[in-house]
Amino acid sequence: MVTKPLRLLITLFFTCLVCLLVAPSAWAFCGFYVAKADAKLYNQASQVAIAHSGNRTVLTMANDFQGEVKDFAIVVPVPVVLRRDQIKVAEPKIIERLDAFSAPRLVEYFDEDPCDQRLYDRAVPAPSAASGVAQEANRLRKDSLGVTVEARYTVGEYDILLLSAKESGGLQTWLTQNGYKIPQGANQLLKPYIRQKLKFFVAKVNLDEYDKAGYQSLRPLQIAYESPRFMLPIRLGMINAKAAQDLLIYVLSPKGQTEVTNYRTVKVPSDSEIPVFVKNEFSDFYKAMFQTSYDREDRKVAFMEYAWDMANCDPCSAEPLSQTELKQAGVFWLDNPNSESVPMPSGGFRRPFPSSSVFITRLHVRYTRDKFPEDLVFQETGNRDTFQGRYVLRHSFDGEPKCQAAYQYRRSLPRRFEQQAQNLARLTGWNIQDVRKKLPQIEGDSRPFWQRILSSLVGK
Amino acid sequence: MLLLQDARTDQILFLSLFLLVGMSTRDWTLHPEMIAVAIATCVVTQWVMLAVSSQESEFDSKLHPTAKRKQAISFIFHPSFLASVPSALVTSLGLSILVRADHYSTIVLACVAAIASKFLIRVRGKHLFNPGNFGIVAALTLTPDAWVSPGQWGEEGWYALMFLTCGGLVLRRVGRWDTTIAFLGSYAVLEGIRNVLLGWTWDVWAHRLMSGSLLMFSLFMITDPRTIPNARIGRLLWAVAIALLTFFLRNYLFLSTAVFWALFALAPLSILIDAMFPGDRFVWSDLLGKKEAGEVGEAEAQEMTALVTQIS
Repeated sequence: MVTKPLRLLITLFFTCLVCLLVAPSAWAFCGFYVAKADAKLYNQASQVAIAHSGNRTVLTMANDFQGEVKDFAIVVPVPVVLRRDQIKVAEPKIIERLDAFSAPRLVEYFDEDPCDQRLYDRAVPAPSAASGVAQEANRLRKDSLGVTVEARYTVGEYDILLLSAKESGGLQTWLTQNGYKIPQGANQLLKPYIRQKLKFFVAKVNLDEYDKAGYQSLRPLQIAYESPRFMLPIRLGMINAKAAQDLLIYVLSPKGQTEVTNYRTVKVPSDSEIPVFVKNEFSDFYKAMFQTSYDREDRKVAFMEYAWDMANCDPCSAEPLSQTELKQAGVFWLDNPNSESVPMPSGGFRRPFPSSSVFITRLHVRYTRDKFPEDLVFQETGNRDTFQGRYVLRHSFDGEPKCQAAYQYRRSLPRRFEQQAQNLARLTGWNIQDVRKKLPQIEGDSRPFWQRILSSLVGK
Repeated sequence: MLLLQDARTDQILFLSLFLLVGMSTRDWTLHPEMIAVAIATCVVTQWVMLAVSSQESEFDSKLHPTAKRKQAISFIFHPSFLASVPSALVTSLGLSILVRADHYSTIVLACVAAIASKFLIRVRGKHLFNPGNFGIVAALTLTPDAWVSPGQWGEEGWYALMFLTCGGLVLRRVGRWDTTIAFLGSYAVLEGIRNVLLGWTWDVWAHRLMSGSLLMFSLFMITDPRTIPNARIGRLLWAVAIALLTFFLRNYLFLSTAVFWALFALAPLSILIDAMFPGDRFVWSDLLGKKEAGEVGEAEAQEMTALVTQIS
């Protein structure tokens, strides 16, 4: 009475167990990388790289300030007073490398001749992705009295001050008196930071050093500090911004994905097959797609565009960063032998690639004052699932039909093109009629009707 | 009928709903296999622990060892196990919603820890820790790959409404709404004071309180009637204490998962509070014994009720 159902239950249990152990399968991407949607797409994009492990943070702030160099100044709340050796000027290329490595990508596949079973793929030269003027949001702050200059350094082409203040009016006055242009309304925003006992990292360009070195543009500033706060102050950047601002954050962690804890982190739509004409307008496509997703999520989420182990990529939009480059990006745990002991999958999901001790997460936040009242707070997780914004082009086979299969293949194409057109319209919000006009035309079956019927009967 | 009268059935329905809603409309890194593992582990652990503890309790009885073994196996259909399955389901669903992990082993650990804590860490017959909370803390501290995503629900009104409605229905049945109100109320006041002192605008405050994860915690975890103080005044004090600790951990130690640590750290306080303010202990299915008494005989019904009271 009891044994039979029990046996059944046990069998069921073990069946489930076996299914569970077998089910998670590795899925590798493949295809050719053709284009990327990098940071140059956006008009007002700030970029920061954050290397974070435990309580240590190395923050690299890209500087694409486009105005007069003498007008440049930046004020960043930092948790501690930084020593001279905690501040440096990073290699200008490093943010570009991170951007290129992690950018959303277009990949393409080629259908083989339906009459020929051999598979072949071709690589096609990549058109350049995007153009556009990038502009750094000007982040000037005010000045005040009751301000203590905790430290003063010249690092590379920058003059750097570390300030602490008792009161925001004082800080504002101080900064103005010392020649920093501070936007209206900064006073109110500086107050919460002062009261949280944060210090202010203030940088402007030392024109002598700048001219002496003959730099063409300002190099990124990199600061390192130890603090349990894992956050990025974005409120100050919103003072004089009317439009939404784009912020690209490259977080490097020894553990896994990094996510935002006080806003939702949402993956950008990915892996959709879209019409091949998008190859020539990928930047327009990506901008429209991002805007559509942004609106769909009510403009209040952080988007994840990429999450991957830095040891590999598939397909690669740029070569993985070398150890030297990773160090330049602020990764400080590479020399520590213990850091190599990344938790490897034991009974869980298999991973197809070698892994390293650096995992990158690319977050794209488009923020406005009304939807992002709080600064961004992050946490690193043990999640080593990989993700990439990836869009697929499938070129149809255009050769002469030599067999019945080729005719069938041709007949299947309109449905596929229609599906791609719908994907595109859904992702970008573009008008489906306009999209359809750009779809490739398929020649009809030009054989006489009796030949068609005959060949379909014979199967040739 | 019986199932409908148990507030845990509501809880199971609502938690399943949240899980479905979360998986379909939110961008969760949640693999369905993980949920299956969580449910299987919780139910099996519950069965094993119940079988072991029932054997122990009959240690002095004169049953032959073979008979005892038989009894242990047949325990799977024993009403006391069946009556405690909803608890195991609630725990496994709660853990599935909250805990994310890279490996199955981590989820198994969280579930075993959660259920085992009910049987192993007991004071005067009452389990000390909220099982789900214990499982979360065990996974976060003992494994490198577990995490909790506080931002997973976002801050949307619709989700807040869904939590409030469903939570309200459960709390009305178990009569523990006081705890939620005390916790949320005092936490809101604390965040409000901080907001004024720092000079933030009020949308910062609203944004912090509208977090779906915070609401879910305060409606579905902190209110577990089996682990919180029995008397109302005790519960109010306890909820305020948790709000204070949460506030401290979040704003001064920058822990994004502050609520779980606060609840874990203050769980032992409920013993002290119970000693100071005694009250009737909560029993999930007190209807079970009464309803079935007529059918299965009074003596057995009493025994069953005792087991259920002790263990579920």
